[in-house]
Amino acid sequence: MSVTMLLLLAVLGMAFDLGRVYIARNEAQVFTDAAAMGAASKLDGTTQGIERARTMVARVPMKWNLGTEKFTGVIVEFSSDGKKWERDPKDAGATMARVTAPSNQVEIFFLRAVGGPATFTVPARAVAGSNPVRLIQ
Amino acid sequence: MRRRGHAMLELAISAGVMVSFLAGTFQFGYAFYVYDQLVTAVGNGGRYAAMRTYRAASAEDVEKARTAIRNMVVYGDPRSGNGAAPAVAHLTPDQVDVEWTKGESGAPEWVAVSIREFPVDAVFAKFTFRGRPGVEFPFVGKYAPSEKEP
Repeated sequence: MSVTMLLLLAVLGMAFDLGRVYIARNEAQVFTDAAAMGAASKLDGTTQGIERARTMVARVPMKWNLGTEKFTGVIVEFSSDGKKWERDPKDAGATMARVTAPSNQVEIFFLRAVGGPATFTVPARAVAGSNPVRLIQ
Repeated sequence: MRRRGHAMLELAISAGVMVSFLAGTFQFGYAFYVYDQLVTAVGNGGRYAAMRTYRAASAEDVEKARTAIRNMVVYGDPRSGNGAAPAVAHLTPDQVDVEWTKGESGAPEWVAVSIREFPVDAVFAKFTFRGRPGVEFPFVGKYAPSEKEP
């Protein structure tokens, strides 16, 4: 009986917890895509453009965890060659913006009871180029 | 005989628990699966809507744009709609809301794409997603107030 209950919990956990993990991953990816596109659209070769890009990312209103929680700890980086990424670039001529949402932790309810982790981190990242604005990654 | 009776009682109790577990598993699993598909669909529509040229020579042009975005959400193709299979079973373009938020100049600043109302029949229970999932993208496309949709 107890073995059966453990198996049932594992199956329920797969459906409930992993289902939420997949949704959170998808929501985070859509958020970073929107944020990266918005940031790239503000890049104009000036330091004010960099600042406007950061402000734009902060204004993206999307949430995760079934649309209920705000994204926190979002990282915005800039690059002019796609290799060297900086949060505060000295050269304002960046043409690409990279947005990372690193800390979306989905709480695990059922899989935890059968030895799974208490939380599952679902990071997402997107890169967009400016002129024309397009997603690169 | 008494032992057999105990076994029957145990089976009856545990079967009730197991069936409700399995029903719950199926319901949540299916609802999450559908929700995930809808997030993907509105995400695709949002990306397209954000980059699409906003032509606003007339209200008809704006409506054409809205239709194209709805088709993108449902069929993954802005021109599609005739017999194509929807990305999410039973999703139709009229269940998708598309709204632009405009700045002082009249140019769109944001575009929101969401599911207005989508009923999910998870066999054991029916429920409806209202106003979600939804996405809001910064508008990064060209603003062409005097252009007409082709």
